[in-house]
Amino acid sequence: MSLAPAIRMNGLAFFILPSALLFALFFFLPIGLMAVMSLLTGNPVVAPNVAFTTRHYARIADDPYYFEVIWTTIRIGLWTTLAALAIGYPLAHWMARIKSRAGHALLLMAVLAPMLTGIVVRTFAWMALLSDKGVINQTLQSLGLVSQPLKLMYNETGIVIGLVHIYVPFMVLTLTGVIGRIDERLEQAAENLGASPLRTFLEVTLPLSLPGILAGSLLVFALAISAYVTPILLGGFQIMTLPILIYQQISANFNIGFAAALGMVLLLVSFVLVVAYNHVLGRVSGQRDLQ
Amino acid sequence: MMQSAPSGHPRELSNELDSGLGRSDTSARRHVVPAARHRVRYGRMLYLAVNTAVLVFLLAPIAIVFVFALNPTPFIQFPPVGISLRWFEKFFASRDFMHALGFSLEVAAITTVCATVFGASAALAIARGNLPGARLVVATMLSPLMLPAILTGLALFQTYVLLDVGRPLWGLVAGHTLVTIPYVVRTTLAVLHNFDLRLEEAARNLGAGPMRTFFEVTLPLVKPGVLAGAIFAFIVSFDQFPVSLFLVSPGSETLPITLFNYLKFDLDGTIGAASAVSILLAFVVVIGLDRTVGLRSYVKL
Repeated sequence: MSLAPAIRMNGLAFFILPSALLFALFFFLPIGLMAVMSLLTGNPVVAPNVAFTTRHYARIADDPYYFEVIWTTIRIGLWTTLAALAIGYPLAHWMARIKSRAGHALLLMAVLAPMLTGIVVRTFAWMALLSDKGVINQTLQSLGLVSQPLKLMYNETGIVIGLVHIYVPFMVLTLTGVIGRIDERLEQAAENLGASPLRTFLEVTLPLSLPGILAGSLLVFALAISAYVTPILLGGFQIMTLPILIYQQISANFNIGFAAALGMVLLLVSFVLVVAYNHVLGRVSGQRDLQ
Repeated sequence: MMQSAPSGHPRELSNELDSGLGRSDTSARRHVVPAARHRVRYGRMLYLAVNTAVLVFLLAPIAIVFVFALNPTPFIQFPPVGISLRWFEKFFASRDFMHALGFSLEVAAITTVCATVFGASAALAIARGNLPGARLVVATMLSPLMLPAILTGLALFQTYVLLDVGRPLWGLVAGHTLVTIPYVVRTTLAVLHNFDLRLEEAARNLGAGPMRTFFEVTLPLVKPGVLAGAIFAFIVSFDQFPVSLFLVSPGSETLPITLFNYLKFDLDGTIGAASAVSILLAFVVVIGLDRTVGLRSYVKL
């Protein structure tokens, strides 16, 4: 009789099966196939004799063009991460420290509203803002501040602006969680001992929020390097990043093997970043449990 | 969440008391370091100014979409010259856009059902099934959220090519389900973890069988979390781009793909109207979410 609950608990475990099957068939199998395809000379369904090869990876390693593409992707990711951190930190701090519940709810709405707007729509909004005849240039010109329109898009600046807007909510939510866990009494103690708010922030709050900074940065970087829509539209088809190159290999060249190899590179980088992100956040919540 | 505001009053009151004390504190110090006090006030103003600028940065693009959608000129004009609904009329009269909108709603509806059933049952198994390696299972189920969605699309596309199945609707829905399941798992787990197990025990002690306990106690209590996840799954599927990019077939494209193809060549008000419609849809959803479970429960990253 006393064993009955334990057995029933295990019965509930079977509810994992539908999802396990879905992930096996539509997630792990496809990614496994992608890994295999990246090592084959051709499509085994169409071509009769395919062999294993490392030439797709060799091509990425040998041709400086692909290094440049990867470096552009990383550079855009880094700038996006830095800007998202600079913009996201003040807002996250405010959200974590605001006392009124209604105020907190409004801030949360403001952060979530962009998140719930599709990336194509948001990229379009930035095109309307940043283009030569866009809102910003029209306003600046009518005010007589500039004579020539500023080049705000069709370059990496435009891509970074658009990506920051898309991924800054992830930074804010990650940071808010970590800053909210910092014991406010530590800040009060510092101020009572005569530290200015700035010094309290720099010497107490900022160091304690470092795990959040790290986790948020890892997440935003991982998301930014895998973006497709924003780099292609705000880059005006001029700037090549890894996801754009991957899609181009499929749509223009139908080179599945090479696309798979590029995909594996992106997957590996993202995987490392996501594991690191989970590790950092896991340690933060672990520390909290210990206290 | 708005309704819960009054319950915050005692906290605010105590804060006012705190800051009142703080104020008398600074007034005592005033004679000693007046400059420092000014610096503090300027610091506070700078803090609010920076945050206001960030909020403008976050929300202005959304506002601009509406300005553009309602402005009668066929190109971007700022400040706007008037208000008209002609772009909305053009959007709703366009066969391509209407077809895409209908298809997107269809895909999102099927995806929502799939993601909810799969995700909620998985969350139940994780929270109650004593699964070995539950943390790894959760990490796996949340991974489609963080691994590049474009790779999920690419990998599925390659698989469908190898299996020679073409680009079927179920293939697209499977991709969408993968990237929306994490939301359902997360919201359902959040509710299950805050769940008072004694309620189930009470039902059992009062003589209800396991089935009856599940349907009359567990399910109603978990419903808000599942519902929040379902609404989220709907909106994420409706806005989904990278997975769809590889998996839609020409002729039956989702709205984000149609918008994207349109954006490549044109930047007129129709796209503003289309964007406004999908933003309004998202807002209805956010309000729905807030009314059902409150926003806090699912934003824990």
